[in-house]
Amino acid sequence: MCMEKWKEREKIYACWLCNFPYIGNGQLHRLTEICGGPEGVYQASPQVWGSVISPEQVERLKEYTEKWRPEQSFEKMREQGIEIVTVCDKEYPGRLKNLPDAPYGLFVKGRLIREGEPSVAVIGARECSEYGRYVAKQLGSMLGKCKITLVSGMARGIDGISQEAALEAEGISIGVLGSGVDVCYPAQNRELYHRLANAGALVSSYPLGTPARPRNFPPRNRIVSGLADVVVVVEARMKSGTLITVDMALEQGREVYVVPGRVTDRLSDGCNRLIKQGAGVLLAPEEFVEEIWTIYDRKYNRKNNGKCSEREKTEDNKNRVSRRWDTESVRRNLPPELEAIWEALDFTPRSTEEIRGKLPAQYQKASIVAGLMKLCMEKRAVQVSPGRFALRSMAE
Amino acid sequence: MYCTIYSGALLGVRAYLVSVEVDISRGLPAFYMVGSLSTEVRESRERVIVALKNIGLEIPPCRITVNLSPADRRKEGTAYDLPIAVGMLEALEMIPKGAAEHMLFMGELGLNGEVKAARGVLPIVRAAEEKGIKECVVPLANAREGAVIPGITVRGVSSILDVIHFLTAQNTDRENILPAAMVDVNALFDSKCQSQEEKRDFSEITGQEMARRGAEIAAAGFHNLLMAGPPGAGKSMIARRIPGILPSLTLEESLEVTAIVSVAGLLEEGRALVTERPFQSPHHTISQPALIGGSAVPRPGMISLTHRGVLFLDELPEFQRSVLDALRQPIEERKVNIARAGGNVTYPSDFMLVCAMNPCPCGYYPDKNRCHCTEPQVRRYMGRISGPILDRIDLCVELQQVEFAHLREGARGESSADIRRRVVKARERQRKRFEGTNYRFNGDIEASAIEKYCVLGPAEQHCMESLYSSLNLSARAYHRVLRVARTIADLEEDEKIREEHLLEASFFRPSPEYWF
Repeated sequence: MCMEKWKEREKIYACWLCNFPYIGNGQLHRLTEICGGPEGVYQASPQVWGSVISPEQVERLKEYTEKWRPEQSFEKMREQGIEIVTVCDKEYPGRLKNLPDAPYGLFVKGRLIREGEPSVAVIGARECSEYGRYVAKQLGSMLGKCKITLVSGMARGIDGISQEAALEAEGISIGVLGSGVDVCYPAQNRELYHRLANAGALVSSYPLGTPARPRNFPPRNRIVSGLADVVVVVEARMKSGTLITVDMALEQGREVYVVPGRVTDRLSDGCNRLIKQGAGVLLAPEEFVEEIWTIYDRKYNRKNNGKCSEREKTEDNKNRVSRRWDTESVRRNLPPELEAIWEALDFTPRSTEEIRGKLPAQYQKASIVAGLMKLCMEKRAVQVSPGRFALRSMAE
Repeated sequence: MYCTIYSGALLGVRAYLVSVEVDISRGLPAFYMVGSLSTEVRESRERVIVALKNIGLEIPPCRITVNLSPADRRKEGTAYDLPIAVGMLEALEMIPKGAAEHMLFMGELGLNGEVKAARGVLPIVRAAEEKGIKECVVPLANAREGAVIPGITVRGVSSILDVIHFLTAQNTDRENILPAAMVDVNALFDSKCQSQEEKRDFSEITGQEMARRGAEIAAAGFHNLLMAGPPGAGKSMIARRIPGILPSLTLEESLEVTAIVSVAGLLEEGRALVTERPFQSPHHTISQPALIGGSAVPRPGMISLTHRGVLFLDELPEFQRSVLDALRQPIEERKVNIARAGGNVTYPSDFMLVCAMNPCPCGYYPDKNRCHCTEPQVRRYMGRISGPILDRIDLCVELQQVEFAHLREGARGESSADIRRRVVKARERQRKRFEGTNYRFNGDIEASAIEKYCVLGPAEQHCMESLYSSLNLSARAYHRVLRVARTIADLEEDEKIREEHLLEASFFRPSPEYWF
């Protein structure tokens, strides 16, 4: 009882300390170590603070402390459903604890990752192709079905798409934000933001209300890879933020898997390069799930004993998951002439001229256009621009 | 002595007669000009006196008063020089009294007595004809332009000396001194059609089947067209060839077009009629008055100069938003009303709008291999086009980069003449359909009349319903698809709109969902 009360008090002051924007992560660790916890820091004299942080920061911290009402602010945060977790708490993710630059405090909205469950980070380009969109959807929905936690950054493109698919499949997903946990960025993902708060978790190491800034994202990425056992790269250009995340993941000793792409696709250049450097290749989803478990077992030295039930559940779920990238079922119920047009489509958008080139000569341009629009009408294709079509990526 | 000579003034693309009254009386030598005159009209005093002096006619010292009536309307331009000079000569009895009766004069005088070209000869001659004037004496450069109007004799002069000879001669000799200008209108139309075809032909465009088809549909139904595509794909090339697949101008249309060009003072010297469909491609820095028409003295803008033709706006997102927004009303009403301190004028502006744009700042979207623009960038670029303008565009086509192999092969497509034949047929069907209504083309059909003209069978209705839901069409987009489907059916010479027409029409629909 007493212990719990003490914990609660510590949280109030952790909230105070972690909401102070002008302090580095390393400084937080040292300061709390010297003072013996956040409350100690609060009560310590500015001289003690000065031993860790610069005089300028001390001034700012003084100013900030004067305005801060610890209890009220903490209550307000609680009302929003936001929790704070520091490295000292037992809820703090074990995966992060071992990192050399583990974030001192995490603001969490929702249910944080549980130990003993594998988790996978799915990352990739914001400006993704139709192919990337498709793979992200399939991957997200499969991980969701297998109840494997999907960690990502809730960004536009691959991140958001995979998380949406995971939630759609009633899975668990964690969104790590580069802004305050109460800020939805990008704004267009507002719906996803709320769903994540309900069915998964939103995590951020930034003070509440922090707007999204470009410099916030690399530190955010280390949490994404840190929370996961395996990192999957779906699409990445040669020079991209995704590859920075991969570097961090490798430093943290995470397994990196890559979805291969065509050598002519600039959006897959980063992925293909990673394959050359020895990254794992993700070919079929169910094979990947098995590999996740192997990695997970090896990592935590579990020999199928304690976690047997979980594993069986996964096996069970796997039967519901298709054996291959599920494009076969779509083909069914198509008249032959539409099927030929459908065959000529791909996940990368193709122009009508290209599509025509793949079809026998008897196809007239008018009938091709009509056929394409019919496929769009039946939601099997999508007109991505006035003259280009792609297969429609379907989660189911 | 007093006398009256007729001349004309412009009001929009119409004209009215102006009587130039000259009075010469004894008194202190002076030259008064009245009648709400602008500076250049006032200056004609000097030009007239010096020109007459230089051909050897000395004006005796006397008191000269010139009034241009109706005196309350603002007079502009330099075309009053000749009538003033003739009036003075008659008042001084240097030419016989009544020699200039039932005649209209216009033209600018040079100091050596030559007669220079004037603006708006065609509408003024037409107004003269309506008012019962028998003969018009106009600058030689504009004689053919005026001669198009039947029922009136138009004579071209190059010097005021000719005019004096003409007016002093006997009626029988007059024809020998200044022969009437003659224009064979039919021959003009025949010869022009051919030369136009030679100039720019659709067969020069390699590939781009969809864009060609889009242009054909747009031409057939008078729909506005938007072309998107990477730089160098041939957007301007296609746009420039669209006038060539539109039906040739009829005489009536040609007169309308010529009148506007004449009012703007842009008709080539010695040209009788504009027989080609106008095509204008203003630079994207164009100002609002230049596009719409205006300035303190109203002049027709680009949209009126492309009356009955094609207005091509290249690099659409680069145009100023306010300029584009000003296009909304003229597109709807097919005319533009310009109100200035000088009065209200209305210019016709029945044009087909063809726009071209890159899909993103770099131009290669959605080719992700080449385009590095981010989603917000693309969206911002698209956002620069005002929505109301996009709403008035029925067809949208995307052009692809032409592959080198295609260029080498030089696979020639259909010629403009072949396409035009189909377009003419489709327009003929529309003409019959809309007889006795306000509409002329499928592109004009308003939402309220869509049900009446775009009748769908049960199967087509069902197809349209599923298109509506699967493509997330808006009500506006739905009407657009129907309008375009009507035109496609007309092109296929089908009175009934079929499913394939609807599907093709929906392919060409402009959608805000593209590009992000």
